[in-house]
Amino acid sequence: MKFLCVACDAPMALESARGPEAGSITAVFSCPACGRQVAMLTNPFETQLIKSMDVRLGGPAGPPEPLGFLTSALGSGKGEGDASGDTGTGPGCPFGGMVAAMGSGVGREEDGTPDGPLWTDEAAERLNRIPGFVRGMAKKGIEQFARERGYPRITGAVMDEARGALGM
Amino acid sequence: MKRYQDIPGDGGSDVPGQVEAHQARLKRRMAAVRHKVAILSGKGGVGKSTVTANLAVALARAGQRVAVLDADLNGPSMATLLGVRGVRPVLCEGGVLPAVGPLGVKVVSMDLFLAGDDTPLTWQGPSQTEAYLWRGSMEVNALREFLSDVEWGALDFLLLDLPPGSDRMANLAGLLPDLSGGIVVTIPTGLSHLVVRKAIALAREVLKAPLIGLLENMAPGPCPRCGEASGFPGGADSASVAEAVGIPFLGRVPFDPRLASAADRGLPLVLAHPEAPAAAALAQLAADVRAYVEWRAAEAPARGEG
Repeated sequence: MKFLCVACDAPMALESARGPEAGSITAVFSCPACGRQVAMLTNPFETQLIKSMDVRLGGPAGPPEPLGFLTSALGSGKGEGDASGDTGTGPGCPFGGMVAAMGSGVGREEDGTPDGPLWTDEAAERLNRIPGFVRGMAKKGIEQFARERGYPRITGAVMDEARGALGM
Repeated sequence: MKRYQDIPGDGGSDVPGQVEAHQARLKRRMAAVRHKVAILSGKGGVGKSTVTANLAVALARAGQRVAVLDADLNGPSMATLLGVRGVRPVLCEGGVLPAVGPLGVKVVSMDLFLAGDDTPLTWQGPSQTEAYLWRGSMEVNALREFLSDVEWGALDFLLLDLPPGSDRMANLAGLLPDLSGGIVVTIPTGLSHLVVRKAIALAREVLKAPLIGLLENMAPGPCPRCGEASGFPGGADSASVAEAVGIPFLGRVPFDPRLASAADRGLPLVLAHPEAPAAAALAQLAADVRAYVEWRAAEAPARGEG
């Protein structure tokens, strides 16, 4: 919300803010050109909006108090509202899309599996650094990624590419 | 005559600046926390808070500096679970000191701020009906203050115990864009799986973090007292749910009535009965979670986050 002095066509500046008192905040704005003043009085809904954002009209009164919002905004705990309203103060799983499987063996280049891409020593070593309970799924996912792209070998670079594509 | 867009600023309140200042305080405080992990479930009553308390203590036992923020503002339980109920937070130079539970686990819960056992969380407003309408933004501000105004100190883990349901995930994502990950807790029933799957789908959409995995709590197993089978007979298989939705399965925590009795005493099972199979499962969970977040942190530079 902004205020414009119609006579001067100049934005009015916040002069002072007071409250909340009885569920309302009073903010006084003045025109820097002609000095005319207006007061804005918030209704309880507007007061609550400001409170819910944990901001103050006119800017912070001082350095932040630890848990200042919490201590000022907690209710009485008796199930009744405070009528015054006074405050006083690669999204998702990296393994999504991978085929779930819990095997943990790694086919090295020299003993590669017949139907899967071969893992270079470097890639296999990196795979083995993945925690065991995740490794099987990661391996399957990367192998599928490599197969889909026609990569005969899984290298570190392929792993990096797969990581980007799979959100790992 | 000038239009709204022709007038710069907002007349002196600088509301955007105030909001930015809130965010800056939060960012400064959270810079000292290495891993922030949320524990969530779409379903209530699955033992999420009990898992959180035990995970915290298990991590602390492994030498990690741990704190828990009870983000369930309306149904806070963490102060009881970690034995700090009745402790009043103390102001210090940098903010508010958290309560300290077993093995130095720091705790902040709305429970520490409410007047008594029967006091519900209410917010000030012109009327309670109107205050209720605004509760979403009030709760976000309360969470933000807990995160930014508590003197957490340097931490390896900050665990956030989310309330049941899915509606607070977006709030958390807004407050903590660098969340390390989320753990989803379920129980082995079809109903729980139905609800949890929705929560997983939403979490993938709104959380800017990976889901570390799905944990099955109250899994079937022999009763530690009588040896009879306990838990949900013919329970649904949570591992297959994890597989179906494509997230890792974090294992099963067998049903153990001592989990509840230890919780009431403020002593997590991993300390009260470390020999129990459920305690072993929770310790394994802690090891897996730690391995996961450390792996992801090590890989962050390769993801362009370093």
